[in-house]
Amino acid sequence: EDSIALTSVSKELLAHRRRLIDEWNAWRKRVEKELAEERERAGLPPIQKRDTENMEIIE
Amino acid sequence: KRPILLQGHTRSLTQIKYNREGDLIFSVSKDQIVNAWYSHNGERLGTYNGHVGAIWSVDVNSTTTLLITGSADNSAKLWNVQTGKCLHTWEFKTAVKRVAFSEDDTMALAVTEQRMGYPGTIVILPINPDIGAQRPKAMVAVWGNLNKYIITGHEDGSIALYNWKDGEKLNSIHPHTGEITDLQASEDRTYFITSSKDKSAQIFESNTLMPLKKYVTDAPLNSASITPIQEFVILGGGQDAMQVTTTTMRQGKFECRFWHRILEEEVGRVKGHFGPINTIAVHPDGKSFSSGGEDGYVRVHHFDNDYFKFRYPELS
Repeated sequence: EDSIALTSVSKELLAHRRRLIDEWNAWRKRVEKELAEERERAGLPPIQKRDTENMEIIE
Repeated sequence: KRPILLQGHTRSLTQIKYNREGDLIFSVSKDQIVNAWYSHNGERLGTYNGHVGAIWSVDVNSTTTLLITGSADNSAKLWNVQTGKCLHTWEFKTAVKRVAFSEDDTMALAVTEQRMGYPGTIVILPINPDIGAQRPKAMVAVWGNLNKYIITGHEDGSIALYNWKDGEKLNSIHPHTGEITDLQASEDRTYFITSSKDKSAQIFESNTLMPLKKYVTDAPLNSASITPIQEFVILGGGQDAMQVTTTTMRQGKFECRFWHRILEEEVGRVKGHFGPINTIAVHPDGKSFSSGGEDGYVRVHHFDNDYFKFRYPELS
């Protein structure tokens, strides 16, 4: 029973975390699009995004 | 009828003024203090502290909202009558011997003393009629994106968004209950983080001041930084030694706290400083950061592999 309770709590927490991540990503998508459009209108180059996914870690 | 004795000054009186209604008396003295009294019973309403020299002159505006004083400390001060707060200080080369509001309260004159090669002058001071516009002191500020706005963090915990070109205030919020100590923008300036003496840090959208995230800690914060690689923020602070009554603080206990930017959960700490952490900056490549402490040291920390590999396993 205890383990079931634990699982359900962590499921709730997991859902909460997922929701926060999704909300943040949706918001980022919106503001990044708005900023890109605004920069284009102002004749400015787009902001170079750092490539964090393929970053090389030197051991 | 016997006169009422107003007891409160400790040195020679220099000027007395009634307000327009006559219910209040303002008095100034060489004791550097302004007193406000009820005229009908002589009870003291309050004092205005801030001058560091004899006060020569005082005047109150027609609506009894603003008080102006002139002092031997070479300054004139504007005060909020009700709160007792000094709203503005004008500095001069010599003592200010007389001050007076104009009929419409939009200006005041100040007579400065002739002394030591300085001629005596009569200066007209503009008075902002809107007390609300006398904002609490700004402590920190950043530029918004595309150089359009500036964002200011204030002593009272408020944040304001300005169009700097015409000085227009676009928005203002009061999200912190203590002084805002740092304000740092994200890489693209679309959002920013604040740190506050109220022990919390918060993230807001730059152009709207919409609150997005809040990180609540157990120590007054002096700095907050956004990390470019991981979705973290780094917070630093600590109780000033002066304010700690017992010396329970272990040496090197002052820590930079890492919080997950999106999940608002603390994920780790980096210790080392022997005093409160005053400032934090992250390397543009996100692979290291520096912290500056009250102890006089700058510590440059390079992240190890665990930092880059950090993931919430259940989320990936």
